[in-house]
Amino acid sequence: MKISWLSATAAAAVASTVIRVLAFTPIEAVQGPAQKIYYIHVPAAWVAFLAFFLVALASAVYLWLRDIRLDRFAESSAEVGVVFTTVVLTTGPLWGKPIWGTYWTWDARLTSTLFLWFIYVGYIVLRGAVDDPSLRARYSAVLGILGAFLIPFIHMSVYMFRTLHPMPILGQPAALARDSNPALPSEMRNTMLLALLSFTLLYVAFLRARYKLATARGIAEAEARHA
Amino acid sequence: MPDNAKFFHLAYGVALTIYTVYALSLYLRGRRLRPPAR
Repeated sequence: MKISWLSATAAAAVASTVIRVLAFTPIEAVQGPAQKIYYIHVPAAWVAFLAFFLVALASAVYLWLRDIRLDRFAESSAEVGVVFTTVVLTTGPLWGKPIWGTYWTWDARLTSTLFLWFIYVGYIVLRGAVDDPSLRARYSAVLGILGAFLIPFIHMSVYMFRTLHPMPILGQPAALARDSNPALPSEMRNTMLLALLSFTLLYVAFLRARYKLATARGIAEAEARHA
Repeated sequence: MPDNAKFFHLAYGVALTIYTVYALSLYLRGRRLRPPAR
């Protein structure tokens, strides 16, 4: 079994993040240990947004250039994005139960994130349903672009609506950051930055492996058509 | 809130399991497409 250096580095980075969260990051005074779910939930949400934004970008460029590699990239990024969104949608409720007293509430951010997940699961199902490679690429490119319009809406939902979901502590809009919310303590901030880096690396490793798979499948499909 | 530690452990367990299962699925799907070299 051959493991690439990228996969090994990503696995080591994720392991070191978990060790840092467990042993070297203080427990938050009010929420207790459950607050540490934040270090796995927020990076998963960041990666999911990144993944779907890149699906939309690659899809838009595909519709312009019609290069099949862009379609394979979009396909790969969508699947990896669904995995990370699944983590968001499972770790969030596991934080919500001890802190809110409920696993789920139909507030704007939770509901729109669930819709994002459905859209990209639909994207994967659509790809499985269309046999013609160029039609498949075209249909899924349109869905991939439209789905990503939810991303800014989800990001801004905590400001636009009265939601239960907390507002971000890092990366707030400048107008809010000026006069509210104390800064995150440096140990917590550094753990969060390490987590963001590690899970982004994990995304790149997954994306690379999935892209190779898409390429191999494309070649096998072309050979089967010409046989 | 000491008993909420179980939710912390559960969340990490679930998330790391999802990532591991996906990594394994990528490996197995890749291997199925590439027959072993003779």
